[in-house]
Amino acid sequence: MPLSGTMDVAAFAAGAHLAEIHGFKTEEWTLKGAQILNVYYEVDIDLAQQLLPVTVHPVIPAYAMFNVTHYPESPVGPFTIADVRLGCRAGVRPRGFTLASYVDSEAAARELAHRWGFPTRVGKVALRAFHDRVVGRVVTAEGKPALEVEMLDRDFISGGDIQYVSSMHLCRNREDGKLTIVQCDPEWTFSKAERGRPNLVSFDSALWNGGDKVRPNWPISGSYAIADVLIGKIRYVSDPNQDAFRGTTQVAA
Amino acid sequence: MKFGIFYEISVPRPWDPGVEKRVFDNCLEQVALADELGFDSVWAVEHHFLEEYSHCSAPELFLTACAMRTKKMRVGHGIVVCVPEFNHPIKIAERTATLDILSGGRLEVGTGRSATWNELGGFRANPDETKRTWDEFVRCLPKMWTQERFGYQGRSWSMPVRTILPKPIQKPHPPMWVAVTSPGTEIDAAERGLGSLGLTFGSVKEQETKVQNYRRIIANCEPVGEVVNNQVSTVNFLFCHEDTEKGNKLGRRMLGTFNFLAAQLLAAREAYPTKSYPSLGLLPSLRKEASGPADPAGVPEGIAIGDPERVLRACKRWESVGVDRINFLLNALETIPQEEVLNSLRTFAKHVMPHFQDSSSQAAAAGGGR
Repeated sequence: MPLSGTMDVAAFAAGAHLAEIHGFKTEEWTLKGAQILNVYYEVDIDLAQQLLPVTVHPVIPAYAMFNVTHYPESPVGPFTIADVRLGCRAGVRPRGFTLASYVDSEAAARELAHRWGFPTRVGKVALRAFHDRVVGRVVTAEGKPALEVEMLDRDFISGGDIQYVSSMHLCRNREDGKLTIVQCDPEWTFSKAERGRPNLVSFDSALWNGGDKVRPNWPISGSYAIADVLIGKIRYVSDPNQDAFRGTTQVAA
Repeated sequence: MKFGIFYEISVPRPWDPGVEKRVFDNCLEQVALADELGFDSVWAVEHHFLEEYSHCSAPELFLTACAMRTKKMRVGHGIVVCVPEFNHPIKIAERTATLDILSGGRLEVGTGRSATWNELGGFRANPDETKRTWDEFVRCLPKMWTQERFGYQGRSWSMPVRTILPKPIQKPHPPMWVAVTSPGTEIDAAERGLGSLGLTFGSVKEQETKVQNYRRIIANCEPVGEVVNNQVSTVNFLFCHEDTEKGNKLGRRMLGTFNFLAAQLLAAREAYPTKSYPSLGLLPSLRKEASGPADPAGVPEGIAIGDPERVLRACKRWESVGVDRINFLLNALETIPQEEVLNSLRTFAKHVMPHFQDSSSQAAAAGGGR
């Protein structure tokens, strides 16, 4: 039968840094002029499967998304966020299951966690665009290098060629204390898009709630874009211990 | 309207010794029965690395086995991947000509370019290039089949003058098709005089628009081959049972299983931003199908699942929008027991086929009314 995630959700939650979401009703954020670096690598599927809840299915081949995004303006001021996601499917829908996020602003980390369940931690997160490459770097608050990722050989493409996927965040609901998966469905309006050669310079899986299980083994692609991002209302939440068809609830239109 | 059967050859886990052989044997038994019942053609995909979804990586061998077990059915590549990292064009010309000879001139040649990162990445093919290589291949193949000597200097491949052997026995050459998955590919097919081999499960309404575009453009095409293959084929599921409830239940199970399997594939566009793949392949139609309108039995519009009356209605609907052929997927992951698949073929041939002009005489002649 088709593969499903095999994560032990309770054990994962006990060892991971998860967000506490303050209910499912939040207003939208419109974030202008975001700079978005995305690098995709294939990863070991047997291990990745253990990092996905039964709610979702792994993509074959399994792949990880390394995202670093700078938002020059937001309701809590400018911030830069990096996250690592595993490509997956909720039913037949393409999604990215977010393992962890680092944000360089305490206020942004708090708001993103409380509003959309992003598993945020505060760290040093930087995104730099040079003439020949775009570089994202993450260092934890304790000074440990967590990620350095690049897109080389920049080449223009159309924003319409880029296919980002919605993310899913395992978090704890403050209202009932239960673990839940929140689906975050941003919309992107592109003003610039590039594609390039991906290069993962360094990555520490353990610092992204991945233990030693996220093992990148083959580069796929890199992209860099400038876009207006709308982080919308939460529409769907899922029970992390049930498949998406049985365990998904619509909470807003 | 003509009816064919279509194979992905999906093999369920666990992959115990013998499971693949059992699935292939089941497929061949279905093919032999379909030939007796008057089905027009059998088609096989070319897929690589698609766990459970498709273990049909050497379709020319499977189709040869089909040809050896049948008398009248045509055998079709649905499709052969026209990307040099997958298949050298000389090898395609040689293999297809050989199969045409072995089948007694019953070969149909579907062409395409793959749409998954699983496959493109696995062969290290450049997704940006596949449309161009496909275009070169389909322009070369007819010449390789028909010219005694052939030489070529092109963009993605070249060769000095040689005699490519053997030659197909169909004259001028086997009918050619192109897989239509991405929106607009039906136009590519029409412009080149190729048949439109639909491989997604879109709505009847969408297909109607595609058929209209195709017919309009192919009327003024510049054919890449020596004949124009003005035909539109679509793919569908088939589970036909006289017991309505059983037909719906087993059929829906097959449909759901297929959707899950297909959804796990990594579409080229999702992994690799490129204008070469404007859609997510099967995924959008699967999403629509999963959440779209269905009849009270939960079967989406146009899907040939249920009792004979419902299946007939679905096929008539496709006929009404100008589709010439329907190719049926009969199973997914062996969710339907083999005996039920065979019964479904018999029920379809007995109750549905006779309502279609082209197929009824075949069905009657083949004893489809048994």
